[in-house]
Amino acid sequence: MPFFRSTVSAQLCICLLLPSGASLAQTPDTPARNTSTRPGYHSPQLQGDARILHALNRFTFGPRPGDVEVVRSIGLDKWFAQQLHPETIDLSDLNQRLAQYPAMQLSTDRLLYSLPSNALIRQALNGRLPVPTGEPLQAVYENQMDRISARITQQRQQDRQPAPASQTAPNGPAGSPAMNPEAEAAPNPNPMSRASTDAAAPQSMSSSMEPAAGSSATPFDTLLIQDILGLPPQQRVSRLVSMRQPELDAFLKSLRPKERADLNAGLTPQQAELVSALENPERTVIEELIAQRLTRDIESSAQLQEVMTDFWLNHFNIYLQKNEVMPYELVGFERDVIRPLALGKFEDLLEATAHSPAMLLYLDNASSIGPHSVAAERASRNASRRPPNQRQAPEGLNENYARELMELHTLGVNGGYTQADVTQVARILTGWGVAQPQRGGGFEFNPNRHEPGTKKVMGQKFKEHGEDEGRALLHFLATRPATAQFLSRQLAIRFVSDDPPQPLIDRMARTYMTSGGDIAQVLDTLYHSPEFWSTSVDRAKIKTPIEYVVSAVRASDASIDNLRPLANALRQMGMPLYGCIPPSGYSWKSTNWVSTGSLVDRMNFALGLAANRLPGIFADWAPQPQDDPPPSAEQSSDPIANEEARLEAELLPGGLDATTRAALLQQFHDQIAQRAPGAALAAANPNVNPRRAANVLQREDQLLAGLLIGSPDFQRR
Amino acid sequence: MSTSRRFFLRNGAFALAGTTALPGFLVRSVLAQAASVAPTRRLVVIFQRGAADGLNIVVPHREKNYYAMRPSIAIPQSQVLDLDGFFGLHPSLASFKPLYDQGHLAIVHAVGSPDMTRSHFDAQDFMESGTPGNKSTRDGWLNRALQAEDLRRHASHTAFRAVALSADVPLTLAGQIPAIALNNVNNFAVGGRGPTSSPAASAFEAMYGSSGDRIFHTAGEETFDAVQMLRAADPSQYAPANGAAYPASEFGSNMRQIAQLLKANLGVEAAFTDVTGWDTHQNQGSVNGQLANRLRDFSDSIAAFWRDMGDSAEDITLVTMSEFGRTARENGTGGTDHGHANVMFVLGGHVRGGKVYGRWPGLDNDQLNQGRDLALTTDYRQVLGEVVATSLGANNLGLVFPGAAITPNRFLRLA
Repeated sequence: MPFFRSTVSAQLCICLLLPSGASLAQTPDTPARNTSTRPGYHSPQLQGDARILHALNRFTFGPRPGDVEVVRSIGLDKWFAQQLHPETIDLSDLNQRLAQYPAMQLSTDRLLYSLPSNALIRQALNGRLPVPTGEPLQAVYENQMDRISARITQQRQQDRQPAPASQTAPNGPAGSPAMNPEAEAAPNPNPMSRASTDAAAPQSMSSSMEPAAGSSATPFDTLLIQDILGLPPQQRVSRLVSMRQPELDAFLKSLRPKERADLNAGLTPQQAELVSALENPERTVIEELIAQRLTRDIESSAQLQEVMTDFWLNHFNIYLQKNEVMPYELVGFERDVIRPLALGKFEDLLEATAHSPAMLLYLDNASSIGPHSVAAERASRNASRRPPNQRQAPEGLNENYARELMELHTLGVNGGYTQADVTQVARILTGWGVAQPQRGGGFEFNPNRHEPGTKKVMGQKFKEHGEDEGRALLHFLATRPATAQFLSRQLAIRFVSDDPPQPLIDRMARTYMTSGGDIAQVLDTLYHSPEFWSTSVDRAKIKTPIEYVVSAVRASDASIDNLRPLANALRQMGMPLYGCIPPSGYSWKSTNWVSTGSLVDRMNFALGLAANRLPGIFADWAPQPQDDPPPSAEQSSDPIANEEARLEAELLPGGLDATTRAALLQQFHDQIAQRAPGAALAAANPNVNPRRAANVLQREDQLLAGLLIGSPDFQRR
Repeated sequence: MSTSRRFFLRNGAFALAGTTALPGFLVRSVLAQAASVAPTRRLVVIFQRGAADGLNIVVPHREKNYYAMRPSIAIPQSQVLDLDGFFGLHPSLASFKPLYDQGHLAIVHAVGSPDMTRSHFDAQDFMESGTPGNKSTRDGWLNRALQAEDLRRHASHTAFRAVALSADVPLTLAGQIPAIALNNVNNFAVGGRGPTSSPAASAFEAMYGSSGDRIFHTAGEETFDAVQMLRAADPSQYAPANGAAYPASEFGSNMRQIAQLLKANLGVEAAFTDVTGWDTHQNQGSVNGQLANRLRDFSDSIAAFWRDMGDSAEDITLVTMSEFGRTARENGTGGTDHGHANVMFVLGGHVRGGKVYGRWPGLDNDQLNQGRDLALTTDYRQVLGEVVATSLGANNLGLVFPGAAITPNRFLRLA
């Protein structure tokens, strides 16, 4: 380990000359780019453990303590080959954890049935959807129906008294349809209302998402609370099922955090899910979706599969709040479309996304109709029979998906297409839609909505052929050299550097073309390229918020019962999961993530994580019996330095910059150790109360760990 | 209450008190006498991300083809808030109407970026970099405007000189001049809020300060400067003035926080925030609906900001923009697709408002850009060039908008 650390710190000074993303930090006399440091065949290559650490930094969400040793014992090449083939990796531990989220295994229609969306609840209120008979599902439906009808009544009362301007903020996607029980037929139209979604705060995963429908209810009897909490699990759940509104919400609202935990104590995953559904079925889906994703990112041994799942979910971005069915569609989108194909053939992935209800709804293709299709002509005949003021919006072409399909999913913005091509692609894809979107009906091709005739895209003719026209188009797009270039560049930006060398991209693109778009083979080419192992790209990447948060949790080896604080941290840092509104997804480049505000958030997250201030997340910094003692060469007479060295080896196997470490230790001595001279005290005086000394030591460890996780060095990978 | 009137009261021009729509030149001549004590002018920039539908925001209600092309989403002539007999505001912009009538709000129509891209992301980048068509620009026009200001007059600046209310520094503000991004002024502290720096904050400050990592060394320094200044300003004690009521939206909150920062004397010269939700491909609505809701939030937040700033509003210029407009015809799903020219608002104490600027290209089918969008007659850099020259004194427009050939005599003279 000592050899290793010095190796990497020696290389740090090279990576500080990194060519990219420097504009924010650029000083007036420094050019924005330094092309001379571009890696190439002749640049120095990472060696030994530095290679292992580099691979872990790039192909996983960050090393956990001991990971370097594990990869060393397997052999780096063999480890990488395993990562490219996740089916060879034992995931039984992960699957056991994921069993906490039973709904995540359901098909979209079953999921909507068991944990109904608010749109379905409004259908039930209107009598257009039968309420399931029999408990506990009936209780789930009826509770939510009561809440929504209470909200509608409340809104109607407010509408009668005109509110001042300050209170008429636009309603969010979750809010506005609820005010109008008739509005559920069409997908929710509010595509990009960040303000209102933030108000609804799905990512904050707090119970504040629902306005208190039972706000008029009286506080709950304390003795009754104790009675209910004292029941054995099954009876406790049955008791909740038997409650109705507003009693249930009044009960839940009266619970203090400790009692809330007692309510869930000893429940099976199914029971816990039911309790959550009784309170809010739609939110239960969102919470489980986010929790399973973070659980996989943190715990999965098939790390590259999760990194690539994250990559493709961002490439084929879908916004959770586009409409009320989107959380449900996202479950299947991630589970059945993205993850299984994340290391497969790109064309399969593209086909699957194009057929997914999530994408068809998010980018509006489901509502696009060929201007000369049977459906459009029928609609215009019907419309002409109505008086002008009752005419519905004309149905027709929507080119949203067509454009993003070429710009963001395949060719890239300079991929050689024109506006005319966008319109032609939109025509080809007319008829690709979703059967009964509110009920999870799945993909459907409707020939009546399909635009007839031959289309021409980038000089290529697509003859009238129904749904197959679209398949031919997707094949055409997936096999363009521009697509090979664009995807290779995106991958190289994610895995190598913000400004990846063109020869590397060309090599990856060649593999893409010769392998039929095989993603694993493209990554294998990247892995075997000298540019990837060049010392000039060592730690050249700055972590995005998801990379930062997940790598911090992995490095701390914390035990996790509650993922909400992590989801909240991501939201605070501007990268909520499934929360990117525009179809471009989040940027992989550093300039977008280094700012004053984001540094404050990262430092506070680090301190909170290390000091166990995030509820349900516990990190233990005390030395473990199986830990190796710190290498004797690094043992010093300064107990704080020894403690720092131990924690640094766990958290930052690449080591901290020497001057940063010196500053940290100096600060610790100057002001922290003076107030709480734990380690020094305990070492010098064996008569100190051992428990008190242990507490002080623990606080010191927490602060040291927080400073290490918040350090400049931990911001890079 | 008229803001003009407040200006005059403060400047001792009692004779004019009670007059509402004052001619701009009168306001300025009175202000000129007070110039020696007036604080630096400040600029607030708002980006409407997603391509706002300018034709339904400032409605050309005398254009027949407007109604023909938008059968279900047009704003009926009876519902627009008429401005000059030809243009009218969307009814959700009611809170803009008094600002327009008082002469503080100017409108520029058929304006935008000359680049023809219909990609949100390219268009936003081009607009923010100020170099349409050139993808290699790494800094933003507003940052270069501050650089241009520095060429003209040397002054010391604070960490808050350029600030964005957002998770990250937008391209508009990125560049040589340090800029701050923050989400929430009240959470802007490390290791807990309090009158003094926490031990953890001091340790981080020392670690970042000594780090050899150029990017994080700089970002750390800027961060701790800003944290200290904001702590001294005690933002948690803020209450809006003059009965200003901000909408309970993210944009409302951002405008409120910009007012907070401007009033706290932190040395803010340029503030930026953005507002999303404009990409109305589907069911955008007409008098009511999706776009109407966005516009109400948009205008109420800006009007609340103006009211809140009170007397200091005279030194503020606020400008809005969006990456491109939307198709002149509604699409098949009750919305509009990506178009070209758009509308900008310019609000300020020194703005010659109460007028819709720009040459109107018309909406007949043969007058449309590529047969589908409002044609462009004013380059948005003309507007911004004028704004930065008058508000920041950044008159080296070759630096701010390289290659744009903006010359003062081609200005709209809106300020």
